[in-house]
Amino acid sequence: MQSFIAAHKSRLGLVSLEAPLIANLAVWSNIALIRQYHENMPWHEARAFTEALLHRLGMASIMDKRNPALTSEERFCAMLLRASLVRDAIVVFDKPFGILTNLRDGCFIMENLRKLDDLIAETHIFDYNWEKERYGGWDGTES
Amino acid sequence: MIAAIENIGRFTLDTSLSLRNTLTFAIQVIIRLLNLRTYNSASRMVFINQFYFTSVQILPLFLFVAVIFGSLVNGMAFQVIKNLGLYDYLGRLLMGFVVTEVAPFVTVLLIALRSSSAINAEIAVMKVNRELNMLDTFNIDPINYLFVPRIINGMLSMVLLSSLFSLVVLAIGLFVSSAVFGTSVDAYNDTVLQAASLLDIVIVLFKCATFGFFITLIPIRLGLSASMELTSIPVVVLGGMVKVFLSIVVIEVLSLIIRFI
Repeated sequence: MQSFIAAHKSRLGLVSLEAPLIANLAVWSNIALIRQYHENMPWHEARAFTEALLHRLGMASIMDKRNPALTSEERFCAMLLRASLVRDAIVVFDKPFGILTNLRDGCFIMENLRKLDDLIAETHIFDYNWEKERYGGWDGTES
Repeated sequence: MIAAIENIGRFTLDTSLSLRNTLTFAIQVIIRLLNLRTYNSASRMVFINQFYFTSVQILPLFLFVAVIFGSLVNGMAFQVIKNLGLYDYLGRLLMGFVVTEVAPFVTVLLIALRSSSAINAEIAVMKVNRELNMLDTFNIDPINYLFVPRIINGMLSMVLLSSLFSLVVLAIGLFVSSAVFGTSVDAYNDTVLQAASLLDIVIVLFKCATFGFFITLIPIRLGLSASMELTSIPVVVLGGMVKVFLSIVVIEVLSLIIRFI
């Protein structure tokens, strides 16, 4: 995974416990940070843009919450949105069930990925071999 | 004997290394400060938040300290001046001592106690939580995004709060002056303005900005030196605050030397 990350660093959108949300920023600031920093998007525009994306995932209520106040699903969605805001994002999930500790399968991940399809160029999942069944039926799964 | 010499040598090497690292980091930050590409919407937001925490939230406490301190200093100084019949030195005392020495010193102590410690802990916590690694993953330079806005805020807050402190103390001086000497507003203004020297004001502003730069830069650098363990946070905060106070003393001494050369 490390070599893959190094090879795609400029377009990398990492969803991993190794890339946590910034604890003293609201969810919207964490997500908007990518566009504000890399594209100098004004804050009010970035906030509105983020709000629309959170609506898409049905998570508008977490907009002003901070990381410690989020459930694991909310945290995952915030991380996914942040990753998908990288231009032509190559979204990499690093052991997503480490974040979504109480989910049995990957339906939740798939469902949210579909909702953000227009923002993401590629998706890659890195996980342990024994977790393969939880992604049951996904094309191209490699451990 | 040999052990004592070794300890002195080790201490000298450690201090020199720490000083070199701080100066290297300072140069890196100054280069970014001067680069327009450093500034973007994200860094502006960090700056605004920091300015609010450092300069706005502190205002009630700061004004309270300024009024109490201003009343005490003015009360004592005016009593001495009256007893010794040194009214001609009133302006020089206010401008040369209160505005150029006391105001920056009290301001830097208040900001260091409140904001430097917070910045030190914040950066250390971000490092321990791997939030700094996250920034690197998303190609966000922590110097541009986190450090430069905090340092600019430190410099600006120092200049503004020190000026506010001076204004409060001078305003209290006006009341005390009219009560003790029966001085009119115009006479008081004349006395203070005649004692003001442009060079002194430039030096005091530069001193405030330098204070602001180092009391923000040092906590950041020490925060970055935290290991990945939670127990390292209090250690680096302690070390950072000691170094902040040392830097305050060094800058104060240097500014006095420059003023009186």
